[in-house]
Amino acid sequence: MYIYTQKRPVMAYISLREVCKVYPNGYCALKNINLDIEAGQFIAVLGPSGAGKSTLLRAMNALDPATQGEITIDGVTLNKKNYRKIRAHIGMVFQQFNLVDRLNVMTNVLVGRLAEHSWLSSLFYLFPKTDYQIAEAALREVDLLDKAWSRADKLSGGQQQRVGIARALAQQPKLILADEPIASLDPKASEEVLKLLRKICSEKGITIIINLHQVEYAKQYADRIIALNAGDLVFDGSPEQLTAAKQAEIYGTTAEEIYYEPELVLANA
Amino acid sequence: MSINTLPPKPLNLFPLWLSVILALLWLIIWDLGVDFKDLLYGVEDMTEYFSRYGTPNFSNMSSYLYLMVQTLVTAFWGTVLAFIMAATIAPYAARPLTPNAVAYRVARELLNFMRAMPDLLLALIFVSSMGLGPLPGVLALSVHTAGFLGKFFAENMERVPAGKYEALSAVGAGFTQKIVFAAWPSMLREAVGNTLYIFDRNVRMAAVLGLVGAGGIGLELHDALRLFKYNQASALIIIILITIVVIDNLSSWIRKVLN
Amino acid sequence: MNPSWYWPTPSGKPPLTAVLSIVLPIAVLILTASTVDMSYNKIFYALPRMLDFAKNLWVIPDWQYLPQLGTKMLETVEMTLLATMLAVIISMPLGILAAKNASPHPWIFRMTRDLLSFIRALPELVWALVFVSALGLGPLPGIMALALVTVGFMGKFIAESIEVVSAKAIEGLESTGCNKLQSILYAMLPQAVPDFIGSLLYILDHNLRAASILGLVGAGGIGYDMVMSMRLFNYERIGMIALSIYALVTLLDRLSDVFRQKAIGGILNVH
Ligand SMILES: Nc1ncnc2c1ncn2[C@@H]1O[C@H](COP(=O)(O)OP(=O)(O)OP(=O)(O)O)[C@@H](O)[C@H]1O
Ligand SMILES: [Mg+2]
Repeated sequence: MYIYTQKRPVMAYISLREVCKVYPNGYCALKNINLDIEAGQFIAVLGPSGAGKSTLLRAMNALDPATQGEITIDGVTLNKKNYRKIRAHIGMVFQQFNLVDRLNVMTNVLVGRLAEHSWLSSLFYLFPKTDYQIAEAALREVDLLDKAWSRADKLSGGQQQRVGIARALAQQPKLILADEPIASLDPKASEEVLKLLRKICSEKGITIIINLHQVEYAKQYADRIIALNAGDLVFDGSPEQLTAAKQAEIYGTTAEEIYYEPELVLANA
Repeated sequence: MSINTLPPKPLNLFPLWLSVILALLWLIIWDLGVDFKDLLYGVEDMTEYFSRYGTPNFSNMSSYLYLMVQTLVTAFWGTVLAFIMAATIAPYAARPLTPNAVAYRVARELLNFMRAMPDLLLALIFVSSMGLGPLPGVLALSVHTAGFLGKFFAENMERVPAGKYEALSAVGAGFTQKIVFAAWPSMLREAVGNTLYIFDRNVRMAAVLGLVGAGGIGLELHDALRLFKYNQASALIIIILITIVVIDNLSSWIRKVLN
Repeated sequence: MNPSWYWPTPSGKPPLTAVLSIVLPIAVLILTASTVDMSYNKIFYALPRMLDFAKNLWVIPDWQYLPQLGTKMLETVEMTLLATMLAVIISMPLGILAAKNASPHPWIFRMTRDLLSFIRALPELVWALVFVSALGLGPLPGIMALALVTVGFMGKFIAESIEVVSAKAIEGLESTGCNKLQSILYAMLPQAVPDFIGSLLYILDHNLRAASILGLVGAGGIGYDMVMSMRLFNYERIGMIALSIYALVTLLDRLSDVFRQKAIGGILNVH
């Protein structure tokens, strides 16, 4: 499965050292996170709502920069000056897709190339032919070539999310951050998107870090699972290590509740 | 469903639109005989000309202030009368409330007509039938802006969720009761916003109504310019400017408080 | 007051804000009535004269005047279009600078905002007076006055429509590492297009009305003929002029309603 990766290793070695995030209102959403991530892995981040999953991902591409600690991606440490340069090679996939609704699918994908261009060519909505080839390949990858010239908001949710992934691919990234990419999708579209991301990870060796709410999906697709709770890293291990007891710990319930609740309900009925 | 080649790019009409617009622009400039080069050559003259406004002369301050107050009062009266007319006509021009199709059409056309008559034209007419002074100005403003306000109110009433009217119909409420208990409570905030907007607009307009003899500060400005009294003109302009800016800020403050 | 009737409030009395918002304006109206010569007499004496005026309008139109009416109406429309287009071109960059989320610096944002509100503070006719006295009679001062005030309004509208563009689309762009100008061009402007068309139609409507009265101070358009025939009691023309203004304004009103509904979805899609 990983042969391709090993032949052409993509180095997106990420390390977080004592990373903290305090929001302007004083809320501490990440508490002293230390984490190392190897290139080419598919990593799922779990945790209850408000645990800090989005904050963690958004710190990695500095959309919401960490307030303390050090984040190094592929040997480059994030600082105020290199945000844009670093983002150029980190794709991001959002829960709400974050497409530009009124532009067509092709342009939305080409947007992934903008960071490579000066402001002058952008001014006239002009892109070089190579960009079109990259965008076309990305659309082929997500199987949306037929929609290339439709307006983005005319697509279904699942299709829009695939456009989001194509935009990320057009950046030719070494790392894709996906913040609950399936939370607004139905089960079928969810599976499609997860399979697609898994395929991208396995075939292209792109590291993928994905926030999920479904433990089952995480176990099924991820190489490694990380869990947060109230800003603390509470689990880090392989899918097999994520036992029911651990799950209960992550979500702040007790194992008994998980096992006995159905019967309790029945007993009370 | 899945295909392997990019479908052909659909025709992009944007360049066509752009060139049509540019051609139109050129045609208009040609037809009007406007020469913007005059402006360029005139830049020096213009700076000289505007320097004449340099030292505002406030010696007639008290009479200017009285005129400005008169202007504001004209706008206020105009707005209140417009509000009353608009509130009366609007329910007939709102589809969910109107009693029948004829009333609807009549109300719509009436509002349309009021809106279409420029207020300065109306002011001219009123001045010629009731003499100089702010009263014809008040009437002109109120008739013209009642057309706008009535249209806004009718649109607001149409935007109120149909369920609210249905709920009242269900308990047997009549025309007026639906207006009082469903329409107005639901649209109050928008209606206040619209009225403030109309008031802002009327202040600006009242400041120039004097040009046709309908009171306010406009006539004074006109005369000052006609007699080449640039220093007085600039004093008047400054007073108008400050008043309008103050009113604008006041109404946007009220809007903010209401939200 | 009938003691058996109550307001639907806990105390049974009307809420204070409601009372104030009705009593205060009425008080102001009463206090200021004399300032605007508001009196029944004046209005009632005026009524018969207004009827006379209306009766006088029932005359055979001055057909000889028709060609000149056509030219003047065309001039009015042309002034409207030219001034609006010029204003749009100028207000585009100003509007971007005046949008909080697109402006390169808070100071530039504040300064452009203030500049725009300064420009639009004075009505077109005041500017037209000033420009006519600088450039002489003709449509040019009218166009300049109209364009100037329109820049003030359009710049503000553009800024506002950029500010309400959903942060999501902008974030999507920023996550790819593109710069500010690129996110303005590829997220903010395209998303602002529907609002923009709405404001443009509104401004066109406003400007057509304004252009039709600019002639009052000699700044071109139909307004001049209107005042002159009014002054000379030339009823054969007044009716024609008023009617054609009415027709034109109504036509634009209807057209822009149709356009608003149909076109905002599809037209002007860059790319
Ligand atoms: N801009 C902000 N300002 C202040 N606090 C914030 C901000 N954004 C997030 N928070 C807080 O930080 C904590 C972590 O938020 P985050 O969005 O990372 O959670 P999450 O794990 O992604 O949750 P979810 O599963 O609901 O998306 C929450 O308690 C949230 O209230
Ligand atoms: Mg989240």
